[in-house]
Amino acid sequence: MSFEMWTEKYRPRSLEEIMNQKEIVERLKSFTNARNIPHCIFAGPPGTGKTTAALCLAHDLYGEGWREHLMELNASDERGINVVRETVKTFARTRSIGEIPFKILILDEADNMTSDAQQALRRTMERFTETCRFILICNYSGKIIEPIQSRCAPFRFSYLRREDHDTYLRAIVEKENVELPDTGLNAIFDVCEGDLRKAVNTLQAAASLDREINSETVYSVVGRANPTDVKDMITQAMKGEFIEARKQLRDMIVRSGVAGSDIIKQIHSEIFRSGLPDKWKIRLADAVGEIDFRMVQGANEEVQLSALLARLGEAGLEMKRGS
Amino acid sequence: MHAAWTVKHKPHSLSEVIGNSNAIQKLSKWVKSWEKGVPKKRAAFLYGPPGVGKTVSVETMANDSGMELVERNASDYRTADAVERFAGLASQYGTLDGRRRLILLDEMDGITGTADRGGVRAAIEVVKEARCPVVLAANDAYDRKFSTLRKYCLLIEFSKPTVLQIASHLKRICRQEGIEADDNVLKFVAERSGRDVRSAVNDLQALAQGRKRLTHEDVSWLAERDRKEVIFNILRTVFYSGDTWEAKKASDAADVDADMLFEWIYENVPRHFTDPRDLARAMNALSLADIYRGRIRSTQNWSLLKYVFDFMIGGVAVARERSKPGGWVPFKFPGRIMVMGQTKGLRARQSSIGMKIRKRCHISSVRAVKEVIPYLRIIFESNAEMAAGLTSWLDLDEDMLEYLAGGKRQANAIAKRLA
Repeated sequence: MSFEMWTEKYRPRSLEEIMNQKEIVERLKSFTNARNIPHCIFAGPPGTGKTTAALCLAHDLYGEGWREHLMELNASDERGINVVRETVKTFARTRSIGEIPFKILILDEADNMTSDAQQALRRTMERFTETCRFILICNYSGKIIEPIQSRCAPFRFSYLRREDHDTYLRAIVEKENVELPDTGLNAIFDVCEGDLRKAVNTLQAAASLDREINSETVYSVVGRANPTDVKDMITQAMKGEFIEARKQLRDMIVRSGVAGSDIIKQIHSEIFRSGLPDKWKIRLADAVGEIDFRMVQGANEEVQLSALLARLGEAGLEMKRGS
Repeated sequence: MHAAWTVKHKPHSLSEVIGNSNAIQKLSKWVKSWEKGVPKKRAAFLYGPPGVGKTVSVETMANDSGMELVERNASDYRTADAVERFAGLASQYGTLDGRRRLILLDEMDGITGTADRGGVRAAIEVVKEARCPVVLAANDAYDRKFSTLRKYCLLIEFSKPTVLQIASHLKRICRQEGIEADDNVLKFVAERSGRDVRSAVNDLQALAQGRKRLTHEDVSWLAERDRKEVIFNILRTVFYSGDTWEAKKASDAADVDADMLFEWIYENVPRHFTDPRDLARAMNALSLADIYRGRIRSTQNWSLLKYVFDFMIGGVAVARERSKPGGWVPFKFPGRIMVMGQTKGLRARQSSIGMKIRKRCHISSVRAVKEVIPYLRIIFESNAEMAAGLTSWLDLDEDMLEYLAGGKRQANAIAKRLA
């Protein structure tokens, strides 16, 4: 028996197979029909099909040998200006052999590029438009510099609708011969919130545990993937045990490799699940939201989250005094 | 029981003095010229930083040429009266036994305005009447109080020897003391002394006396000690002065890496800000400082660095309103750096697996570590069959397999299915 990561095994190969983001797919199809594409920006949350759409576009445009006309770079791994100067330029300036005179360069996680690198990229995009089209993929198009944005056709991806999400997962379980009752499906959507990569990874991990995937299986996967006792950490912080709380936070991030965005999501839901007075839930939501935003801006996760823990400690004191 | 090495290993001959060969040549030429009669300049004024060999050059020169050295330093001639008494000696050509005389007025900087009133003026008289060579020495010949005196003197500048010259001097001492020492270690000691030979020799004695070998470990703590002292000073001011200006001044004065300083402050803030409200304010200031660090990273605009300091120094300094200083709380080494050190191997493993995933899954290795590896671990720990398939699909090596499987036993179970 051969196994792959299901995210790859069931990744659509052609635009025809993409079931969500209908409007975007229609526009992309018109590009492939015209056998020409502009520079593009695909922006949107994780797991909504941005990379897939880019790969499918290339596939549909070039046909079978599509990989030869394509280069995929990831700005998180190669974010410096030298990559733009060397790798990108070398690829962009050589002419493609075949019917279509240009190649495609997919630059994933482009919002992680330094603005220096983006400036260099902007010139490269201009100079080599004839021979190369760029698809920039990012979570937030706001982090792409204005001159690049204005040279690209923008596409905004949004979270999958519930029925698309369900259809996609049901198709997988059918082929993989596992069972996914509604409780399991609901649990996955509840946890992954329409992030399809996360949903499929959760599904596969759950399938490795059991042939029937109910909500219990799902939650045990989630618990093991994110071994975070956020609840205890919050309790410590509110008791004023900041140093202990920060130590727990550090273990989660450094040793268990939990993403800061997951931790703050859990802190948020933990606060609303707690027995705190509503007035305080709202006050704390403001604090959580502010820190969430700061992390998105590219600050250090541990520093930001521990500032939140300190705020929780302050709130704990204020509550005790009844303000 | 032990003599100071600065005395014990003092040069006996001019040829053993390190550095300043031009100055020394000028000096000996001038002294020689006295054999043909009184030269135009009756005094030589040696100037330069401490510990570069001014005094020792004069001493060895007198020794080499068999002259009698009459030496006075600041502690001897405080007043005009004292200097005049001394002048009698200078007005004679030589000694009774026929040896010529060399007069050294050392540490001229030590003559201060009021206490030694007239000291410099008296020195001028000595020089004017001198019938034997008079050598003056000071750190700064261009001090205003020497302006008249300077006119009667041949100015000779002494400068700092190079690190290599000092290191080879130290090596000679080590050889004589029977100590083995790496060149790098000696260079380090020389450098740290600020190229002051006297203090380099003193340091060497403190480090090496009684040892057979001097290694890098024996001396590296010196740098560590210096740096920590600097950082502790900043931390004290930032945490307890309550004054933004003071705190920023302290950090400006010290040339400490901003990221390193941030880690120290971040680690120690909760230990010194005990009131939760103060702590929240201080941590918020650090959070803002951190945002500017992020902005610098993404824009490479280093002029934003001042805002990092505004928040991490000034912002933290004013955060204290209610916290009482709780006795002596020692500063702790940044835990985050320690953890990063301890988990280096772990992270290297994770990122090598991340690279494998990246090849297959259209995702950066950074995100693969956070978003894919956790699920892989569940699969590898619980389903050997699926894990075996993924192992070959991702092309993982044994080490990676063992990490994902969480142990040797499960890794072996998976590996068996591979064969």
